Amino acid sequence: MKSMFKKALAVLMAAAMLFSLAACGGANYTSENTEFIIGVSGPLTGGAAVYGVAVQNAAQMAIDEINAAGGLDGVMFKLIATDDTHDATKVAANYASMLEDGMQVSLGTVTTAPGLEYSKLSAEDNVFFLTPSASGDKIPEFDNGFQMCFADGNQGKVAAEYVNGVYKNDTIGIFYKSDDPYSNGIYKQFKENLDSSVKTVEAVFTDANATDFSAQITTLKDCKFIFMPIYYQPASIFMTQAKSTVAADAIYYGCDGFDGLAGQLDLSTITQEVSMLSHFDSNATEGAAADFVKKYTEKYKAETLNQFGASAYDCIYAIYNAMKAAKEAGKKIDVTISASDLSDILKEQFTGDFTYSGVTGTDISWEDNGYVVKGAVKYDLKKAD
Amino acid sequence: MAKALSAIKWKHYVNYVVVAICTVVFGVMSLTGSLSSSSIYMLEKIAIAIMLAVSLSIVVGFLGELSLGHAGFMCVGAYLGGKTSALLEPLLGDVPTLLVSLVVGGLVAALFGVIIGLPALRLRGDYLAIVTLAFGEIVRSFFMNSSDESFGGSLGLNTPRYDKNTLFIIALVLVLGCLAVTQNLIRSKHGRAITSIRDNEIAARATGINVTKYKLMVFTISSFFAGIAGVLYSYSNFTVQSTKFSYNYSIEILVMVVLGGMGSINGSIIAATLITFLDMKLQTILTGNLAVLQDLFYALVLIVLVIYNNAPGLKSFRETYNLKSLLGKFKKGHDPSKVHDDEAKWDRVPTKIKMDEVLSVDLQTNSPYTPDKPGKGDR
Amino acid sequence: MNIFETLLNGLSMGSTYAMIALGYTMVYGIAKMLNFAHGDVIMVGGYMIFLTMASVGNPILGLAIAVVFCMLLGITIEKVAYKPLRGASPLAVLITAIGVSYLLQSTAQMIFGSAPKMVIVADLGNVMLGSIKLPVYTLVTLGCSFAIMIALSLFVKYTKIGRAMIAVSEDKGAAQLMGINVNGIITITFAIGSALAAFAGFFMLLKSPSLTNTLGAMPGIKAFTAAVIGGIGSIPGAMLGGILMGVVEAISLTIPAIAPYTDAIEFSILIIILLVRPSGILGKKRREKV
Repeated sequence: MKSMFKKALAVLMAAAMLFSLAACGGANYTSENTEFIIGVSGPLTGGAAVYGVAVQNAAQMAIDEINAAGGLDGVMFKLIATDDTHDATKVAANYASMLEDGMQVSLGTVTTAPGLEYSKLSAEDNVFFLTPSASGDKIPEFDNGFQMCFADGNQGKVAAEYVNGVYKNDTIGIFYKSDDPYSNGIYKQFKENLDSSVKTVEAVFTDANATDFSAQITTLKDCKFIFMPIYYQPASIFMTQAKSTVAADAIYYGCDGFDGLAGQLDLSTITQEVSMLSHFDSNATEGAAADFVKKYTEKYKAETLNQFGASAYDCIYAIYNAMKAAKEAGKKIDVTISASDLSDILKEQFTGDFTYSGVTGTDISWEDNGYVVKGAVKYDLKKAD
Repeated sequence: MAKALSAIKWKHYVNYVVVAICTVVFGVMSLTGSLSSSSIYMLEKIAIAIMLAVSLSIVVGFLGELSLGHAGFMCVGAYLGGKTSALLEPLLGDVPTLLVSLVVGGLVAALFGVIIGLPALRLRGDYLAIVTLAFGEIVRSFFMNSSDESFGGSLGLNTPRYDKNTLFIIALVLVLGCLAVTQNLIRSKHGRAITSIRDNEIAARATGINVTKYKLMVFTISSFFAGIAGVLYSYSNFTVQSTKFSYNYSIEILVMVVLGGMGSINGSIIAATLITFLDMKLQTILTGNLAVLQDLFYALVLIVLVIYNNAPGLKSFRETYNLKSLLGKFKKGHDPSKVHDDEAKWDRVPTKIKMDEVLSVDLQTNSPYTPDKPGKGDR
Repeated sequence: MNIFETLLNGLSMGSTYAMIALGYTMVYGIAKMLNFAHGDVIMVGGYMIFLTMASVGNPILGLAIAVVFCMLLGITIEKVAYKPLRGASPLAVLITAIGVSYLLQSTAQMIFGSAPKMVIVADLGNVMLGSIKLPVYTLVTLGCSFAIMIALSLFVKYTKIGRAMIAVSEDKGAAQLMGINVNGIITITFAIGSALAAFAGFFMLLKSPSLTNTLGAMPGIKAFTAAVIGGIGSIPGAMLGGILMGVVEAISLTIPAIAPYTDAIEFSILIIILLVRPSGILGKKRREKV
């Protein structure tokens, strides 16, 4: 009886599936487009959702602005944001469905782990992507991939050079997430470039939703300098828990993942110094960054404001500017252009002498291998008391 | 000839036929290029899900042990098979590499199945469930912290992706193989021994069934196919990342088995197909701000379906308003009074024997069957 | 010196696990079901505390509201999702519990968004113990979980409802024949379990202020492991298992070579203990079983 119900249901579903699967493949999906379609896959739900939501919001904001200003010669833009919950196995489906919905250019993925899958998928079809925040060294492995954020390896290297200069013959602490590609990627390059005279004390965590770092704090409590290549959410927990255990004049030093910290934690409640090496500061009070912060907080809640969003905002504008520049240079870009054709045009732009100035830097350019070239600034989020 | 054909119990082969037809139809569609790539990904996922659900179903539905570590076996298969294929691909070419890695992934996973089968001899129920969960997490943690050169560590293992137009055909053929093995096992005397262990282990032992042997056998076969599914998974992705194989994934597979109905292989197949389909459609349709509705929708469907299917209070409702009785009204020549001349459907007969009742016959004083005790007769 | 601090950290982590494990063990002992949604009730409690803190600013009031709300939530979940399945396969109940868990998580994200909330419940500071700084919350959490454990044990042993609970856990049918309202007892058990979850949420926020919709997920699983180590259904067992888990975790995290494998080590200990004692450390003592 029960199985009968299920059998009938199954037949119904099979029929539905046949319909949906029969949707013809191989055709040019963009031929019906009435707008330029930009796709992105990111964690919109689950533990990493705040990063995906930030990218989605900021990218939408940029697109709304561009559309309000008339789009690209009257052609509007549209964003498709799909949810991968930070899970690499969901990317293929997202990618295929966005492509079938007419995606012409994309922001890749928000996080690195799914991005490793995405870069290979998009390389097969030659779909251009400029990722705001998937910072893995291997993300721009193929010629269609570009990054707006610093690659992990570079961040680790720059941080190590800074430490080598200041803490020669000293002991420093490192706190990182051992199973996270971002954290681990920076950590490995950092250790590789660290001067042999610098001794290290290390503590790790693995659970993405960890809320208790007392054991790690005990390990690191005597360090005067703690390098923390982690995202701001665990960092804020660590700092809150450690405020009276770690030396009052210690320095927390992070990478771009630190941005957003101020929205999480009232930094005046801790005594330690906090600084980061990044391309964007959500506390900016002047320049393009301040404009972005103002616009973003007016439109969305300030609690999702972070460098992921800023970077996504820049990505949209960089793609728009590059398309515009190519069109002015005589390239044919109409609304039904195929993803592959647009990719060839954009690749030429981005590896050429195209530069972009925006929220996360000025005169940003790209190396031929897809890495971004822009200034990394050491922001002091809070001076020691 | 006609008699020979009608003598075959078609209901035993209906799932082979359906899967085979799907394989041929979609295979032809794919090779002629009329299948979109999102459909191809879906078919791959469905094939893998069916294999996982069917292989878990023999542990949960037939042996009656709760396993929450199925993703762990799959993880072993995916990493070992993926590593093998990455190493052999340049040497052997596509097809031999696929065969070798399937064998390697399956066998190593089966070995782990034996290792996990051992505590199953000593533990029961939820205790075994938590041990299998622990096993899955340990395996995952091992691969997660492996060095970059061995299994890729946190960045995951890079594996060659098989030609996407044909991989799902291979996967569906392997599903047929998996069905053949499990169904033949279940319908043999070994299968009856296994279900008897589920229904009452002590009684089974008392009738001379080698419980140790069968428990290990089921765990080995189940994990072998989970390993095969893992190898297929590694072929359908460019990277194998250990985060996928957390206990949540084991639970997802368990949901398929339970929704399909315990001890029903067809049910597992249908539920695996449905859930994978629903999951992927929700994921690709609910984009942007609607993404948060995915889990909500999934959760509601899950709760409603399980309550509808299992609630004792809804039994009469289910019996009045089900498709069979509704369809039965339109069926010509259907005579409910006619009894099928089929032998007992052993998988439907409630076999739960209350051993206590059988073994201890209570002595009741006034029962005519109670022998009189000396000195107690006349008072 | 360091060893002492590590042990203290372990006690502090362990007492949180213990508090969650107590809830698990109560519900499991009586309703005989794995309540996978328990961790998410903790999360809901956390959000209740967050809301009260944001509007009134009184943590104790927040705790009270969280406890009441979680009890109501626990009763509702039990009535809607679990009660219809009484008498059905335990696995069916397990699956609805998972469904409820997803439901709570996604509802929380819809209402409160994806960004973590910072809830500074109270800054209790440190006390100096010789030359060691000892966070006060460690003492508070540890003390409270001991108090709750003792209160629960006494409640189960000496009150009418508590004894009815023992009866239901021993044999539902017989308890019903003796005139015990089995459904009522199970509802009460869920209410108590959910109240304990609210307490756990409070102490988790006291320790570290970040609140997301996945707050209870991993601690829930770890605490369940702890309850099994201690012998599920046993109140002191849950406490013991929780503390053991916490101490092992703290020690393992302090040793750099094995720190990344912390989860694996905890789970290995579970397997070893269950192989030696198949029903957990204190699982055999039926007298204390709820």
